[in-house]
Amino acid sequence: MLNNQQIFEAWLAGKLTTAECEQQLQSDSEWYGRFLTAQQLQRHAKVPAYAPVPDIDTSQMFRQQWGGRPAKTAWWPRLSVGMSAMALIISISPLQLQLQDGALALSWKENNSLQQQQEMTTMLASFQQEQQQYLQQQLQNQQHQQATQLVLLKDYLTENEQKARSSDMIELVEYLNQQRQADWQYWQDNVQPTQARQDYGSSYLPNRTQIDPKRSN
Amino acid sequence: MFKRSDESLINKALDGDERAWQQLVSRYQTMLYHYGLRLMGNPDDARDLLQDVLMVLCRNLAQFRGDSSFKTWLFGIANYRAMDMLRKRKPTQDIDDSPDLFNDDEPTAEARLYGQQTQKIVQQQLKHLPADQRLVVELRFYQQFTFDEIADQLAISSNTVKSRFYAALDKLRTQLEVAHVEQSANF
Repeated sequence: MLNNQQIFEAWLAGKLTTAECEQQLQSDSEWYGRFLTAQQLQRHAKVPAYAPVPDIDTSQMFRQQWGGRPAKTAWWPRLSVGMSAMALIISISPLQLQLQDGALALSWKENNSLQQQQEMTTMLASFQQEQQQYLQQQLQNQQHQQATQLVLLKDYLTENEQKARSSDMIELVEYLNQQRQADWQYWQDNVQPTQARQDYGSSYLPNRTQIDPKRSN
Repeated sequence: MFKRSDESLINKALDGDERAWQQLVSRYQTMLYHYGLRLMGNPDDARDLLQDVLMVLCRNLAQFRGDSSFKTWLFGIANYRAMDMLRKRKPTQDIDDSPDLFNDDEPTAEARLYGQQTQKIVQQQLKHLPADQRLVVELRFYQQFTFDEIADQLAISSNTVKSRFYAALDKLRTQLEVAHVEQSANF
């Protein structure tokens, strides 16, 4: 169990929150008063001060005290700068550092521009060949695609033509049937009664063959 | 940006590197000057204190062993010099005439929230505390040292530090209550 001083000091050390401390100290006016005053001081301490700092010649101060001594500098920054400079010179000069068969060789690159030109020509030729191969491949692909599309188009047209022809035949048959139906109807309505009358009349004649030639005239 | 430690700057300064010394000074001189202003109560004394502390620091730089943080060690020097100056100061000198630490033209959000008037009252009442109590309050609230660190710096026991601290709080509480009543009466 903490006493009020311990509670207050725990809050000052940041181990207790302000709300917790306030709650626990509220019953003790002395410690609660200290707590409130401390809060005011904390707020006051957080407000930044703007008073400008006066100029003091600290260089003179330093030189008077330590001026006699030469400044010691570490060796590694110099080494680092030196190595960087060397690397830069090697990279921009025709010097070439090569590791070959376990040996490090420093050589001078000659005919640099000619070599570069040759490399460039080789690269261009290689690029041209690649492009040609690519175009050839593209052409083949396109031809194949076109042939496939033509076959598909032919199939489609043939199928459509067959369908149209079949439809025409059905229509023709229907037409013929209708004509036949009309002829039969005509025969039933006109020819059959006439024939029936003829057949009826001829039954009273002795020889039908003798009359027929006259009728035909 | 890469920030060198205080120890590294001290070692370089001891090797004669003036830039390291200047870096070390610029890191702490604002803190020291404002500490002086609050403690001494006027800019002239604060300037003298700052110059004095920097001179002692420059002379004794090699004495820093790293047993505590550099800030604790530096404020140990500053406390000793400040108390020395306060002891030598004329008793008739009026600390109420000292200028404000806070510039009224540049209020921060926090300052507005808290109220500039209250800040001024706290600042004024701090000046009426006895020097040893003011020093403990300064070190605890404004420099964020622990009671043990303050005890080390002042070469006194932690209980003495606490006793001064609580006495300062009690006194301040009474002073602030009176000041608030006076302020209300003036309105």
